[in-house]
Parts: sequence; C-alpha cells; structure tokens
Amino acid sequence: MDAMVSGLPLAASAERAEESLIAVRDLSFTVASAAGQINILKGVSFSVAAGEAVAVVGPSGSGKSTLMMLLGGLDRASGGSIRVAGQELTALDEDALARFRRDHVGIVFQSFHLVPTMTAEENVALPLEFAGVGDALPRAREALARVGLAHRTRHYPAQLSGGEQQRTALARAIVARPAIILADEPTGNLDGATGAAVMDLLFGLRAELGTTLILVTHDERLAARCGRIIAIADGRIESDRALS
Amino acid sequence: MSLVLANAWRIARRELRGGVGAMRIVIACLALGVAAIAAVGTLSRAVEEGLKADGRRILGGDLEVSVGYRPMPEEARAWIAERGGRLSAVTELRSMLVVEAGARERMLVELKAVDGAYPLYGAARLEPAMPLAEALAVRNGRPGLVAEAVVLERLKLRPGDTVRLGDGLFELRGVLAEEPDRVASPAVLGPRVMISAESLAATGLVQPGSLVRYEYRIRLPEGSDVGAFRSALEAAFRDGGWRIRTYAQAAPGVIRFVEQTALFLTLVGLTALLVGGIGVANGVTAWAESRRRTIATLKCLGAPAATVFAASALQLLAIAAIGIAIGLAAGLALPWVAAEALAGVLPVPPRFGVYPGPLGIAALFGLLTAATFALWPLARARAIPAVALFRDVVARAELRPGLGVVAANALLAALLVGLVVAVAEERRFAAAFCAGAAATLVLFRLGAAALKALAARAPRSQIPAVRLGLANLHRPGAPTGLMLVSLGLGLSTLAAVALIQGNIQRQVTETMPESAPAFFFIDIQNDQLERFDAIAAAQEGVGQVLRVPSLRARIVAVNGTPAEQLQVAPEAAWALRGDRGLTYAATPPEGTRIVAGSWWPADYRGEPLVSFDAALARGFGIGVGDTLTVNVLGRDVTLRIASLRDISWRSLGMNFTLVASPGLLEQAPHTHIATVHATRAAEAPLLRAVTDALPNVSAIRVREALEAVSRLLRQIGAALSSTGAITLLSGALVLAGAIAAGRRRRVYEAVVLKTLGATRRQVLAAYLVEFGVLGVTAGAIAAVVGTAASWAVVTFVMRGEWAFLPGTLAATVAACTVMTMAIGWAGTAVALRARPAPLLRTE
Repeated sequence: MDAMVSGLPLAASAERAEESLIAVRDLSFTVASAAGQINILKGVSFSVAAGEAVAVVGPSGSGKSTLMMLLGGLDRASGGSIRVAGQELTALDEDALARFRRDHVGIVFQSFHLVPTMTAEENVALPLEFAGVGDALPRAREALARVGLAHRTRHYPAQLSGGEQQRTALARAIVARPAIILADEPTGNLDGATGAAVMDLLFGLRAELGTTLILVTHDERLAARCGRIIAIADGRIESDRALS
Repeated sequence: MSLVLANAWRIARRELRGGVGAMRIVIACLALGVAAIAAVGTLSRAVEEGLKADGRRILGGDLEVSVGYRPMPEEARAWIAERGGRLSAVTELRSMLVVEAGARERMLVELKAVDGAYPLYGAARLEPAMPLAEALAVRNGRPGLVAEAVVLERLKLRPGDTVRLGDGLFELRGVLAEEPDRVASPAVLGPRVMISAESLAATGLVQPGSLVRYEYRIRLPEGSDVGAFRSALEAAFRDGGWRIRTYAQAAPGVIRFVEQTALFLTLVGLTALLVGGIGVANGVTAWAESRRRTIATLKCLGAPAATVFAASALQLLAIAAIGIAIGLAAGLALPWVAAEALAGVLPVPPRFGVYPGPLGIAALFGLLTAATFALWPLARARAIPAVALFRDVVARAELRPGLGVVAANALLAALLVGLVVAVAEERRFAAAFCAGAAATLVLFRLGAAALKALAARAPRSQIPAVRLGLANLHRPGAPTGLMLVSLGLGLSTLAAVALIQGNIQRQVTETMPESAPAFFFIDIQNDQLERFDAIAAAQEGVGQVLRVPSLRARIVAVNGTPAEQLQVAPEAAWALRGDRGLTYAATPPEGTRIVAGSWWPADYRGEPLVSFDAALARGFGIGVGDTLTVNVLGRDVTLRIASLRDISWRSLGMNFTLVASPGLLEQAPHTHIATVHATRAAEAPLLRAVTDALPNVSAIRVREALEAVSRLLRQIGAALSSTGAITLLSGALVLAGAIAAGRRRRVYEAVVLKTLGATRRQVLAAYLVEFGVLGVTAGAIAAVVGTAASWAVVTFVMRGEWAFLPGTLAATVAACTVMTMAIGWAGTAVALRARPAPLLRTE
C-alpha cells in the first residue's frame, strides 16, 4: 500500500487552495466535557478540486465525521478556516449556512435522516422548496426515478426498507444538483449487497453529474473507489494520497 | 400474583429513583384540578359551618316566627311566655330618612324597630361604643336612632344630628357597625336604620295595609327541645299563616345561594380536572414512550406483561398521589388566602378547618380522573413487545389494548360521572354537565379528525412553511387531537363563563332600564291617592304614572291541599316560601298577556276569582278552575283561577303573581303602589315633593336597586372567571406538555430541515402556520361549545333571555389563537436553536 502513497506537502495543498472548491486551513474543533477539553480536530489542512472524489478514512473517534459536519456547515469550527465554493463558512451565520447547504451541498447520512412525517417525494423535494423552486415535486419524482424508486414516491420512510430509505436520501442529496455531495458512512446501516448497490448508484450519479464527493467511510474497498484518500487519526491528517 | 406484585413494586421503586421526568405534567394537571375542587369545597363548607355555628345569633333566637303584616296576637305571646320562652319583637319596614337641616337630603332605608329584649343572642356593636338600649332611648325628648355607616356618609350626618322618619324626629346616636341578625333578615333595598319599638308609633309609618313585617324571636330556657316547641306552637296556632324558622335553618336562602355558587364553581373546577385528565393521558403516553426500551428490555429478560403493567400502574399511583396531595394542600390553603379578598362577599366569616368531606371528594375526583385517563396508555405500554428493542424507531406497530381494557375504562368513566352527579346538590344540572362535557370531547375529536383530513387534502402550497405547517397537523402520529382538546376545553369553559357573565350584565344594565320606571312608591294610603297623583302630575319631566292596590298574600293551599304537603316543581317552589304580591283589578292591567282562560267582566261581583302566573301554574300542576287559598293579613281567602298570565319579570313593571277580582279584597286594609317614569333630572325634585307631602310613603329608586344587583352579579362573575381561568391554565399546561412530548421529534425535524437548507425563519413560519391553524380551529369550536353551554345555563338554569354576544366570542377566538401561537412558539423555539451536528451523528 505504501507504494501507492504520494504524500502531498502542506505547502502544495495551500497553493492549490486558490483554485480549489474546498480549502481547509488549520482547522480545529474542541468540545468541553466533564473531563476537560477534548480536541477532536487538531489543525487539519487540505483542499479539494472541483470534480474530485475524496475518501476520508480513519478509526472510530478519529474526527472524520466531525470534519464532514464542519464541511457541511452543520457545526462550528473552534479555529482555522473552511472555504467552500468561495464562501468562508466560519464567517456565516446559521441561516446563511442553511442557504449555503441548500445551494451547494447534498448530504447523505448513515442514518438516512429522512423526515418521518413526509413521503419520499416530499422529502426529496424539500431542498428545492426551500430554494423556492416551482416544479419541486416533479423534479423530486425524477430524482427518485433515477435511484429506482419511481414506484415508491408516496410512501412514508417507515414504509420503506433501509436500502430504499438510503436511496431516497441519495435522491434528496442530488435533486438540487449540488456541487458537492458529503456522504457519511452511507452504507453503515445497510447489508453488504444493498450497500454495494447504493454505492454503485452514488458513484454513477457523481460521474454523470460531475459532482465533487467527500465520502467518510472505514470501508477500504469503498475508499478505493475514490481518486484520493485522506486518512485521519487522532484529529490529524495522517496521510493524503492520490490513487493512480 | 404476589411474585408479580413484588417484582412490580421492586421495578417501580427502582424506576422512580430516577425522578418523575415526563410525569411532572401529570402531577401538575392533577394538582391544579384537585386544588380547584378542594378549595371550592372547603370554602363553601367553611361558610356553611359559619352559618351553622352562629345559627342562634344569625336568626336572633332559637326560633323566629314571621307573622307577616300584622302583630302577633296577645294569646300567642302568653302561650310562649307560659312555656318559659323569652320573646323579642322586631318590626321591619321601609322608610325615607330625611335630614332635618340644610337641603333636607333623604334616602330610602330599611327600618328595624326593636324592643328591649333585642338581641336575644349576640350583641349589636355601635360606634361610638355604647349599649344598644342606651343608644335608642329617649334623651332630651328625642328618641335615639343608629344607622349603618353608609347613611352617615351619604347624608353627611354626624352623631347628634336630627333626622326624620315619617312624622317622627330622632337624634342620630351612632353607627350600627355590626348587626347580629343581618344575614337572616338582610337589608335589601337600603341600608339598615334601627330605632326602638316604642318610638315607632310616633312616626306614623305603620298604617293599615302598610308593608310592615312583624317578626318574633324566641329564646327558650337552656336545654329545651326546640323542635318539639316548634311543633307545639304550630299545632296551637295552625291558622296563623305563620312561617317558623329554627336556628338550624337560620338562613336557608343564603345556604342555597352558597350551595349553588359552589356547584357552579365545582363544575368549573371539574372542567379543569377534565383538561388535566387529558394532560394525564398525554403525560402517561409520553412516559410510556420514554420507557419503551426499558419495557422491551424487561420483557426480553422474561417479565410477564402483568408485571410490566403493575410496575407502571404502581408508579402512576405514586405520582398521582403526589399530585393529589399537592392539590389538597393548595386547596386547603387557598381559601385562607382568598378569605381576605372575599370578606365583603361572604355572608358570614367562614369557619376554616380541615373538612375531610370536601377534601376526600376532591381526592377521589383526582384519583378517578387519573385512573380513567391513564388506563389506556398504560395498557398500551403493557403491549409493547420485546422486539421493540430491535426495530427501527419510526416503524411502530399500532398497539391496541383488548376489549377488557375498553370495558374497564368505560367503568371508570361511569364511576367518575356517578361521583359528579352524586355529590352535586342539583343532580340534573350535574348530569347535564357530564353529558355536555362528553359531547364537547367528542366534538373536539371530530374537529381534530376534520382538521387532519382537510390539512391532508389541502392543495399543495408553493410556500414550504405553509406546506410544512399543514403537514405537521395531519402527519401520522401528530398530536393534533390532543392539542386541540386540551386547549379547546379550557377555552370553551372561559367562553361559556364570559358569555354567561355578559348575558347577566346585559340583562341588568341594558335591557331593563329602557322600560324600567324611575321610582317605585310604596305604602300610599287610600286617602293619599289624590294628593299623590296631583304631585306627580305637577312635576316637570314626569311621564307615565301607574298605580295599583297592593296587598301581600301567602299561598297556603292549592285545591284545599296545605302548601307544606304540595308536590311542586323545584323552579316553582319559591312561590310557596314567602309572601306574594296581590292586587285586584276590574279590567286587565296594561300589557297583560292571558294565555289561558279569560278575564272577568268589569262589573263582576261574584265568587272571588284570580288571574295567576302561568309559569307558576305549570310548576304547581294546576290550571283554570282550580283554587288557591291565600292568607291575607291573617285571614284565609280562597280564590278560583279564572285565567293564567305570562309575566315578564324583567320588565320591572307592575308585576303581580296574583291579580284578584274586585270585591272582597277591596274591604281589606291595603295600600297602593305606584311606578313613575321620569327623566333623570326630574327624579330628585319628584322624590322630595312626594316624600315631603306624604312622609309615610317610601320611594325605591330603581337605578340604585339595579346597581346593587349588578354589584352582586359582578362579584359572582369574578368568582366564575377566576375558576374558569384555572381551566385555561390547565389547558395551557397540557398544551405545553403535548408540545414538550413531541419536542425531540420537532428538534430532529428542524435539524434535518436546516441541514437541507431551511432557514430559521422558514422553520418558524411552519410552526406558526401549524399552531395558528390549530388555535383558530380550537377557538372556533370553543366558540360553538361556549355559546351552546351559555345558552343552556342562561335559558334553563337562570331562566333568562339569552343573547348572542359576537364581540365576546371574537375576543375569545382571537385570544385563543394568540395564546396557542405563543405557547407553540415558546415550546418549539428550542428546536430552532438546536445544533445539528450532535443529532445527526450516528451514536
């Protein structure tokens, strides 16, 4: 494996930040606990160019999910900067972050996070509706058809299988054609075959739409499907390598 | 079984160690309802005990004999004295008190002439302090007079001033600060003025047929049997037409009033408890939900369903006990606090104490309510399967308890209704309340179902906030029904109370004065008629003057059956309790509406006939052709009913229950009563002119009488409103609880929505749409229920004329919507503040 590594010096990645879609510099994240401060991320820097597919790997508790939350503007960094699509996330307030997500980011979670009280099509239509798009529902149905759920549009999440729920979440993530898809262990709650089918779909859509993908996973084979792997351990980037 | 209980107890104890959590709402709901009922019960019991304990003082003797409109015969006095009874004679009448100086100001007073034996129990307190006999005695050639403080204030009098009553001059000696028998013989139309019996004759106020009441109080030797004495007295003077009260029934009217008011307040309190019951159901559901994993785990470990149920039931019982105990403590303490504020309203100082009766009833209400409303969610918790541990949280099987639970719940509900009816003084009213409450619950459930259906079918809005808000109302598992009911019941109560109050106020202040005369002049003697007419005619601004003969009569028999043996409808019983107005007329008085029979010919001179009140005839079960025997000034006269009339009492005109044919009654000593319409400016000169020229004539100013009634009604209304507010508070609590119960879900949803790009404003707008629609719906249904309830109470209980008051209703609906939105917003604001990341992480 070491032979495949091509570690990039930090300076090089900083240079690339100018033209990159995502530029993270010296990012830190600390939480207070009863036992004192816990440093989850300790000065992480990297950048991602548009159209790249990046896997973020690392053991449990390494900080990879936190990194993804910060990239999606779902949590606030304790220090450093995150520039995504030309916007400095650390400078945005909550509503601006919401609009930022609406316009630029699709997120797929391990636990799907569908709104249980809305049908599949309503769930998928939400990002478009928040953006005030007129034909939200037809486009939601289109997206559902793309993930093979044309026949399940009126079903509530509880009436869908795990794989179907994740495919619905996937449709929701791509429906607004975001520049970036953030996926956090998207197959973690699915069995092997279903998970593989969902990932095929994810990579297929990414390739088709040219979307940048940040995939948090600890599945080596999934990570290998991305062009680049950032390994995180104990809140630091352990390695950042492009795959040939 | 014992193992089940032992295990259940162990589990319950361990679980309760962790605090009561979601059950706080149950405690609060029960405490509020129980407190309201316990407080009302304790206060009314304290007042009744106060009345009972002071019965002799309140009545002024061991017995009181109301002789009516003539003195007690000498032989009766002798009979009483022979048996060791001490007699005190009290004469009561109305009179004008005139200041003998300056502008000769005057006012109507309730005059009480007392003999030397008065009072037989208790004492009159005067300011400056002195014995009553001394204050009323003749000094410097003038008899003494004491009066309530308001007389001195209104007429700007000071002790030592000279005043006139009829033809008699008196020296004002001081203020009557405390009259021991005030409650049993209240001063209704004016403040009390007291003089000695000896000085009454000089006033010339007592004329043949004057409205003078003679009352005799008797104090028996220590240890006498009051009941036996009463029976013997009644037997000896059967034909006296007397009314005898013993100290045990010193103030039956007051007790009736206290009981009726207490019933109203108790029912309002019950509504609060009913709302609380919904809070209980809600709290138990939330609690069971939070224990889902625990229950599933217990079942995985082999706990039978019975153990799970018993453990839950024991915990609930403990929690209900806490709520009830808090409620009882508050219910016990509240009357003490309220007594200060109520001092002016209560007829006697209440005797506070721990009365187990009302407290026990309140506790029983609390317990039954808790059981009735908690059984269903508890049974559902019992049915949670072990597999729930492993199933996705959103995929929940509907848990439906069996028929046995349905039957048990129905039984509990029936017990609750039974208790409400059993403890109520007026059973029919209480039963109607229960039926109304049940119908209201059903109505709100239907309303919720309709709202959900409408929200689901509403055309898709382009505005996400509207769509989200509506979706929140109809989504599976939405607490729409619960929120609607909890809020709606409180509001219905408040709307009903507001409408009832509004109707009463309207009748007193709006409807009446238009047609009401300015004055009633009473005690006009036959030989004063011409003079009276001339004075009235000479005054500027005086309009219609109506004058009729006036007698007082007591109905003593119907078709020969003595009044005390008659079975009459409760709403007609009042007519047998005291004296009724009686007049005679050759032709039907203006405005007479005959509904049965016909009027006698103008020159009729045959057997005495009478035209009777149609409503009372219905209550007595009699009609045209039947006979009424009335006692007029000690003499029984039998009258045959010739016709029945509809009487509108609220017209405040010249209304007589009994109008007899002329002839026989013309011979009886009687006076005349007159109503006079006058402009406001003409009132004072007219009053002065009439009462200067005819000193024995008294004037009742209608405006002042109405104001007194209005004051009393306002006080009752305030009591109703404050109890109604408890219901609303209870409803708000339940609503807040419902919102709190769904908070986790809301926070989660808000986070997901924000993750997908929703701004806080969009999420907030969705909440406002949801709660706004909910509030408007609850308000609309509450308006319907409140209107129906107020109509029923005003029409059937108060026998009044009901009016629709859209302003009051609109205010209710508006207040409702605003309140719901405020509570909804306060309850969900936390969802807007939630940080997404922690909730979105998997474990």
